[in-house]
Amino acid sequence: MNHQPQEDKQQQKRTVAEWVTFSIASFILIGVVGLVSFTWIKQPSQKPPLLVVTNNQPLRKINGQYYIPFEVINKGGKTAASVQVIAELRINGKVEETGEQQIEFLSRKEKETGAFIFSQNPEEGELILRVASYKLP
Amino acid sequence: MKKNSLRRICSKSGNNSQRKHQKNIWRSEINDIVRGGCGGFLFGIPLLYTMEVWWIGSSATPAMMLIALVLTFIVVYLLMRTEGFRKPKRFNRPYQGVTETVEAMGIGLVCSAFILLLLRELSPGVSLKEALGKTIYESVPFSLGVALANHLLGENGTNSPDNRTSRQDDSIDNNPTFSDLSATLIGAIVIGFNIAPTDEIATLAAAVSEPWLLAIIATSVLISYAIVFQAGFSAQDKRRKHKGIFQKPFSETMICYLISLVAAAIMLWFFQKLTWNDPWTIWLEHSIILGLPTTIGGAAGRLAI
Repeated sequence: MNHQPQEDKQQQKRTVAEWVTFSIASFILIGVVGLVSFTWIKQPSQKPPLLVVTNNQPLRKINGQYYIPFEVINKGGKTAASVQVIAELRINGKVEETGEQQIEFLSRKEKETGAFIFSQNPEEGELILRVASYKLP
Repeated sequence: MKKNSLRRICSKSGNNSQRKHQKNIWRSEINDIVRGGCGGFLFGIPLLYTMEVWWIGSSATPAMMLIALVLTFIVVYLLMRTEGFRKPKRFNRPYQGVTETVEAMGIGLVCSAFILLLLRELSPGVSLKEALGKTIYESVPFSLGVALANHLLGENGTNSPDNRTSRQDDSIDNNPTFSDLSATLIGAIVIGFNIAPTDEIATLAAAVSEPWLLAIIATSVLISYAIVFQAGFSAQDKRRKHKGIFQKPFSETMICYLISLVAAAIMLWFFQKLTWNDPWTIWLEHSIILGLPTTIGGAAGRLAI
């Protein structure tokens, strides 16, 4: 009986190991809260999405098909959803072929890549790459 | 690092019994953390394989993230007052609930970030805000799992169903190897059935390259071993004594991993996510990715027998 209270008292003291765990855990938690606050203060999220599509990589010809790589990047502040990228190939002013691609989510500064595939050589005509639409999530 | 500081403390004291005590402190602390982490994996892994949660995390505003953290804190705190992940439970200390909640959330954040990294949902191309959102939203079920760790797999066998089944086992004198294998299969199916029919496996497989697949295999085996032999859940001592063909911890973990992989492959085939015409590499990739949750389920299943 006499032993019991003493044991309780000993249990009340945290061990070094527990202190280490707790300090690491609180460091992680404070770090995460700090980073979130940082992005909150810094965020230019009022800006709407600004979507830029480019094709700066060389096209490849495989089995008579022309692969045109593209890269779309969201330079705005907000996340865009269902980003629709459209490619048109005009030869002699006439739209010969079109391609379309949808990207589910594109958050700030995020980059997605893909390729359009045409059966005619895009270098013989005019290639138009553009973002046709998006929605806010 | 920890070992070094431990050694320094020990050499200062120079007392043998104290050294033993110190060692026990670190051991039980690591066991507690591993137990918490395992609870987190059991509870959190199905939500990690849910695209919608990644998207919600990606598009969440910082204000929403902070609200998510605060709400998690409150719920975990309330859960901590009943269960928790530490053994023995220590209710009598000041602020014990608060410190354990902080620890649970720390474990949850680290575990979810680790798995997101493993599944290539966090990569250098992802912006900081998006990475934070994904990690925070995925850490919610993990932290809840940590808080429920003792509850999820029973403690001291008091209110767990383990006792009933094991008593039945004894009377029927089931073959322990067979009961292990079937328990693994059942656990794997229970967790895997939630995930196998969804599109996530294919999405994840597309982003994961070979070295990451190896990392996923290693993680699956490690978590499975930790749940069954390290985390100090209820039936652990019994498991170590368990006699069967594969009952060395290492061989058992390996065999059960293979069973979980086969179960994953069969479930993917059952839901027509894999067909016989698919190349074997696709079968392998998809099975390994679904293998992570099924292995965790299988490990939990073995403890429940």
